[in-house]
Amino acid sequence: MQLTLAVHPITDIQFGTRLSLDGSALTVDGEELHRLVLEDAAIDNVAFDIVRPGESCRAGPIFDVVEPRAKADGGSDFPGIIGAPTTAGMGTTHVLAGAAVSVLAEMSPDPSRSATGRVLEMSGSATAGSAYSKLCHLLVVPQTKPGLPRSTVLKAYRVASVKVAVHLARAALAQAPASTQTFEPIGAEDKSREGLSRVVYIGQIFSRQRKPAVDEPIIYGTNTDGMLPVILHPDEWLDGALVPSLNSWFGGTETYFYQNHPVVLDLYRRHQAREINFVGTVATVAGNDNVDRVRQCHAAANLAKWNLRADGAVMTKYGGGLPHADLSETARLLEHMGIKTAVMVSDVARDRRVESALLFNVPEVNAIVYNGGNGTEYEIPKAARVIAAKPELAALLAGPMTIDANNIIGVTNQQGASRMRSLVY
Amino acid sequence: MKIVYYVNQFFGGIGAEEHAGAPLEFRDGALGPAKLFEQLMGNDATVTMTIVCGDNHAVEHQDQVTAAVLDKVRASGADLVAAGPCFDAGRYGMAAGAICSAIQRELGIPAITAMHVENPGVDLFREELHIVDSGISIAKMRDIVATMAKLGKKLVARQPVGLPAEEGYISRGLLRDQLGDKTAATRMIDMLIAKMDGEKFDSEMLPNAFAPVPMPARIKDMSKAKLMVITDGGLVPKGNPDKIEGTAATRWGAYNIAGSDDLRSEDYEVSHGGYDTRFVQDDPDRLVPLDALRELEKSGVIGKLHEEFLSTCGRSNPLSNTRRLGREMVEKIKRDGVDAVILTST
Repeated sequence: MQLTLAVHPITDIQFGTRLSLDGSALTVDGEELHRLVLEDAAIDNVAFDIVRPGESCRAGPIFDVVEPRAKADGGSDFPGIIGAPTTAGMGTTHVLAGAAVSVLAEMSPDPSRSATGRVLEMSGSATAGSAYSKLCHLLVVPQTKPGLPRSTVLKAYRVASVKVAVHLARAALAQAPASTQTFEPIGAEDKSREGLSRVVYIGQIFSRQRKPAVDEPIIYGTNTDGMLPVILHPDEWLDGALVPSLNSWFGGTETYFYQNHPVVLDLYRRHQAREINFVGTVATVAGNDNVDRVRQCHAAANLAKWNLRADGAVMTKYGGGLPHADLSETARLLEHMGIKTAVMVSDVARDRRVESALLFNVPEVNAIVYNGGNGTEYEIPKAARVIAAKPELAALLAGPMTIDANNIIGVTNQQGASRMRSLVY
Repeated sequence: MKIVYYVNQFFGGIGAEEHAGAPLEFRDGALGPAKLFEQLMGNDATVTMTIVCGDNHAVEHQDQVTAAVLDKVRASGADLVAAGPCFDAGRYGMAAGAICSAIQRELGIPAITAMHVENPGVDLFREELHIVDSGISIAKMRDIVATMAKLGKKLVARQPVGLPAEEGYISRGLLRDQLGDKTAATRMIDMLIAKMDGEKFDSEMLPNAFAPVPMPARIKDMSKAKLMVITDGGLVPKGNPDKIEGTAATRWGAYNIAGSDDLRSEDYEVSHGGYDTRFVQDDPDRLVPLDALRELEKSGVIGKLHEEFLSTCGRSNPLSNTRRLGREMVEKIKRDGVDAVILTST
C-alpha cells in the first residue's frame, strides 16, 4: 500500500469555457459545473464564485472545504461516496495544492451557538489563524429544493462538494506534476527501525451524541452506525476514505484536513526522519452512553496494543464536550497497558477559567494539548464582497461586526491544524 | 508616578504580633519595603503615602479599613498601589489582597502585591490581582520587590503582562488565547516523543483538584422521605417558558408534576444540543423518571415525591455558572423541605 501524491500548485482560478490547467492557473467551466451539480435532484440551482487570498471578501456559512484531488488510472475517488468503496490510499492522486472547493449552506445555523455559522474570511486580522484564508476557493452556492428534510439537503451538499473537487482535479490528470510526494512505508517489519518507538494515531471520526442519517457518508460512504474501532493505513485518511459528518460544521473538522491531516503528516515526517516508527492508525467513534463508551474505548486501545504493538499514541477527538470522556478513557486504558499517550482537546472554558478547561480528571492523562479559541474575537470590517446562500445571511455577514474565533473556519480546527492555543496565566 | 504603599504593623515598624491590633494610619512618604520599592521603580516614581495597619485590625474591621483606604487613595491621585510582600502571613495577605482588590475594582488604579503561594490571600484574590510569588524567605526581599516593581511598571503603562513563569506572579487560574507557530498536531507529537523518551514535557493543561464533597448523613427511613428530581438534561414544558438555553444555560426552572403519573411527550421538549435527545423526546420519563417514582411512592418505598422537578441544561456550562445555578437550586431545596434529590444527567 503506497500513495503517491502528484502535486500541482495552484495560484489562481478563473472562469472560462473549458476546464484546463495552464501552469498554476486553473480555468473552470461554470456551465459544465452547473450541469454536474444539478445531476442531484435535491438541488434546484447552483451558483459559483471564486475568492482569492487578500480580497476584501467574506463567505458563509461554510458547509465544508475540500481540496481538489483526483485519482489517476481509474482509481476510486472518495470511495463509497462517488467512487466504488474500494481501498483508498493506493496509486497516484493528483492534488491541486493551494486550491479549495468550499460549499455554502443555505440555512442559518443553530442560533444558540452561532448566528453566522463558520465564515471564510479572505483578508484582515481574522485570517492569521486560518490556513483556508491562504487558498483560492471555488465557492459552490447551492439552492436546494424547498421542503426537503435537513439530512437530504446536507447530503446533497456533501455529494456536490466531493464531485466538484474531483472534477476540478481531473484537469491535472494528463499533466506532469510540479512535485510528487510519497511516504516511507509503515507497518512492514523493518529491522532497521528496531529500537525506535512505535507510535500510533487514534482519531475519533464521529460522536454518537447525534444519530447519523441512514445514508450519511463518514467512512467509506457508511455512517458508522454499529462501527467498532478500525485500523486504517495513514494513507487512507489522506486519500478520501473519510469525510466529516453532515452535522459537523461547527466542530472544526473539514475534509481538507483529512486530505492534509496534520497529525498523520507530522507523524510521517518524523517517521521519515527516523525519530519514530509510525506503525498505523485507529479510527474510532465516541460512544452515546457508558456501555457504548467502554466498548469503543477498550476496542480502540486493544487494537493499538495488540495489533499495532504501540509504545505511544497521539489522539484527537471529534465534536463537542462528550467525546472528551472517550478520549481520556482510551488514553487511561492505554497508559495502563504501558502505552504513553498525548491527547488534544478543544476549548470548553467559556468563562476563561482553568477550572472549566478540562472535562476529565484522570491523573494518567497528563500530556494534553489545548486548542484555544473561546477567548478570541475579531473585529471584522465591512467586506467589499459577500457571498452567502441566503440574502438574509449576506446582509448579516456584510459587517462590520465582532465575530468569535470559533466562527472563522479553520481557526479552531480539531484535526491538529489549529495554531490557536489557550495559555494559563 | 505616584505610588501608595500598604504594609502591616511589622513592616511599618510598629512592632510584631503583639501590635497586630494597631489601627489604620496614613503616613507621608515611603516606609519599610516602600523605600526599596520606590528606589527600584526608578527616578520618576515617588511613594507619596504609606498606609500602615495591624493585621488583626485590618481583618477584623475589613469594611471600615477598606472604605477609609479607598477615600485616601482616591484623593491621592496615585498611579499605582503596592502592598506587601506578605510572605506566609495569612492575615497580612488577606488584608493586602482585599485592599488591592478594592482599589483596582473601585478606582481603576492598578495594584501589585506579593505573597507565598499558600497564603490564604492567594486563594481569595489570585484571579483579580497580580500577586508576585514571594516564597517564605524574607532574605529574598530585594528580588521580590524588584519583581513587583517590574510588573508594577507594566501595569501602570497598561503593557501586556506575560505568563506567570516569565513575570514572577502566581497563576491567576485564567486562560488567554495565543496564536503560535506550531500546529496542535506538532505540539502533541513533540509532547508524546518527550514523554516516551522520559524527558520533561509541559502539558498545556493540568487537571483540577476539586475539594471533596462531604457525604451527607444517610436517610434512615426512605418511606418518610420527600424526594425531588433534578436534571441537567434540559427537559422543559413545551414552549420552554423559562427560556433555558440549550448551551451554557444561565437559568433553571421548576416544573409542576403534582397529580401526574407520567410525563407525556406532547407536553415537553428538550432544550439541550449536546446529546441524542430522541429517547427523551419520545418519553420524558426516561430523563425524569416520574412513572417509576410514582410506583415507589404508591408502594411506600419513598414517602413523597416533591411536586416539582428542577431542570437546566448542562451542556458546555462553565463551573462559575453552574456553581451559581447549584446554589440557587439548593436554596429552593431547603426551602421546600426536600430530604433527598435524584440528579439525572445525560
